[in-house]
Amino acid sequence: MNTQPYLKYQCILCGEIYDEELGVPEFNIAPGTRWADVPEDWLCMACGAPKSEYVLLED
Amino acid sequence: MTAPRIPTELIAPAFNPATFGIGKREVIDQLFTRLRKDYPLAVAEVPGYDPHWIVTKYDDIREITRQDAIFHSADRSKTLASQLAEQLMRNYTGGLPTIFKTLVHMDDPEHAEHRAVTQPHFYPQAIAKLEPQIRETARRYIDEFLAKGQGADFATELAFRYPAEIVLSLIGVPKQDHQKMLDLTHWLFTYADPDLCRPGANITDPQEIIKTWDIVYNEFKSYYESMIHARQQCPVNDLTSVIANGKIGGCPMNERNMISYLVIASTAGHDTTSATTAMGMWTLAENPDIFRKVRDQPSLIPGFVEETIRWTSPVQQFVRSATEDYVLRGQQIRKGDLLYLSYVSGNRDEDAFPEPFRFDPERSPNRHIGFGYGPHICLGQHLARLEMKILWEELLPRLASVEMAAPGKFAESEFVCGPKSVPINYTLA
Ligand code: HEM
Ligand SMILES: [Zn+2]
Repeated sequence: MNTQPYLKYQCILCGEIYDEELGVPEFNIAPGTRWADVPEDWLCMACGAPKSEYVLLED
Repeated sequence: MTAPRIPTELIAPAFNPATFGIGKREVIDQLFTRLRKDYPLAVAEVPGYDPHWIVTKYDDIREITRQDAIFHSADRSKTLASQLAEQLMRNYTGGLPTIFKTLVHMDDPEHAEHRAVTQPHFYPQAIAKLEPQIRETARRYIDEFLAKGQGADFATELAFRYPAEIVLSLIGVPKQDHQKMLDLTHWLFTYADPDLCRPGANITDPQEIIKTWDIVYNEFKSYYESMIHARQQCPVNDLTSVIANGKIGGCPMNERNMISYLVIASTAGHDTTSATTAMGMWTLAENPDIFRKVRDQPSLIPGFVEETIRWTSPVQQFVRSATEDYVLRGQQIRKGDLLYLSYVSGNRDEDAFPEPFRFDPERSPNRHIGFGYGPHICLGQHLARLEMKILWEELLPRLASVEMAAPGKFAESEFVCGPKSVPINYTLA
């Protein structure tokens, strides 16, 4: 099992945050889904940007 | 393939600001419900206007706004404009489609470069730091409002003023000038509303609209010019300093773009939030069950705020122009065609929102397009949400009940539109 701490990624266009710990259950991305496992054709749920517009959010 | 046409008598009312002032926008809701059913993507040919594709469906609006390179914002008027208004504008500006050159009116690479100048200041983590000052402001407005007693107008006394104070303070505008900014915003966005338009303007004459824009632009210009110069000499912790010292490709931003940037922040940055806040109160006042539920369960407030944005959809429309041929919903869009995006229709789309005409603070998912979509998505969305969340968190525990003291009124505007009067009676908790 992956014991790395959960990370957060942010859409640089709109500020939306993807939190690995929470996933996006309302869109069938289960809590705990790692960013690498989010499908490549996934679009930002707020603005429609491609996954490549997300960057690691440092605290 | 010939494009389907919407009968002119059906669509013409949507081009008339007065239609948006009827009731709680019922006529508009009925009209777009009919269009979603019979003409989901079809052409309006209203006399005096170039033909516009009327885009009514949630998915279509998202498909268009996601693709800024194909559907431009800068080539034509960004909002619905008559041929005469567009012509007058081009004469006035020496060929440009608008007086202002705000983020809304730009395409890439210009858009991305300008947006990046302020974007980090609008990320949720930056906005969250403003919470203490926003809460203090909210409490002060609530105290002042409740001191006015029964029957006071929640729209004009609180909803118009509180979001304006917050964003104008961020911009760096001193409090004594907030009323002036509020008036200019109304002159611009509600130019056709008899109560909110520029005093003395003849709202039926297109020449007057251009005149109003000219007056508003010049008022803002003379106001912000000196502020920009002061902040270039001596930057302080405000948005004007960020914009005045912003670099585009390593060079200073040009002055028209700086002024426009400040204009959009000091207009769109509160009028939309005011409309949503006023509509939120109107909804609570007419629905005691929703009022009690949200008041008794503060964890529902974020969902309530989200639903008020979907419900209000204060930005009725923006227009895009196609830069190439494109097939959408089986229809052939041609290069140069104009597309009117009806956000209010997208947010009532039966295919995207189950029971769209039910106000449900627990709606999930609630991915409405009240803030738009794509690279032009609202820059201030996280600020707007926080302002409204804090206001309801502070206000609801102080009320035991609320009802309308007299019928509410909607502003007459086909662009930014929300309640202009929400008089309420209440009992205190
Ligand atoms: C409930 C409140 C609000 C609503 C419904 C709203 C709605 C919108 C919409 C629909 C757009 C998209 C424009 C497009 O497609 O071209 C937009 C853009 C914008 N909004 Fe908001 N807005 C709100 C609050 C705010 C606030 C508080 C600010 C504060 C500064 C703001 C600043 C902007 C700016 C600067 C843009 C232009 C973004 C761009 O073109 O890149 N808005 N807004
Ligand atoms: Zn995004």
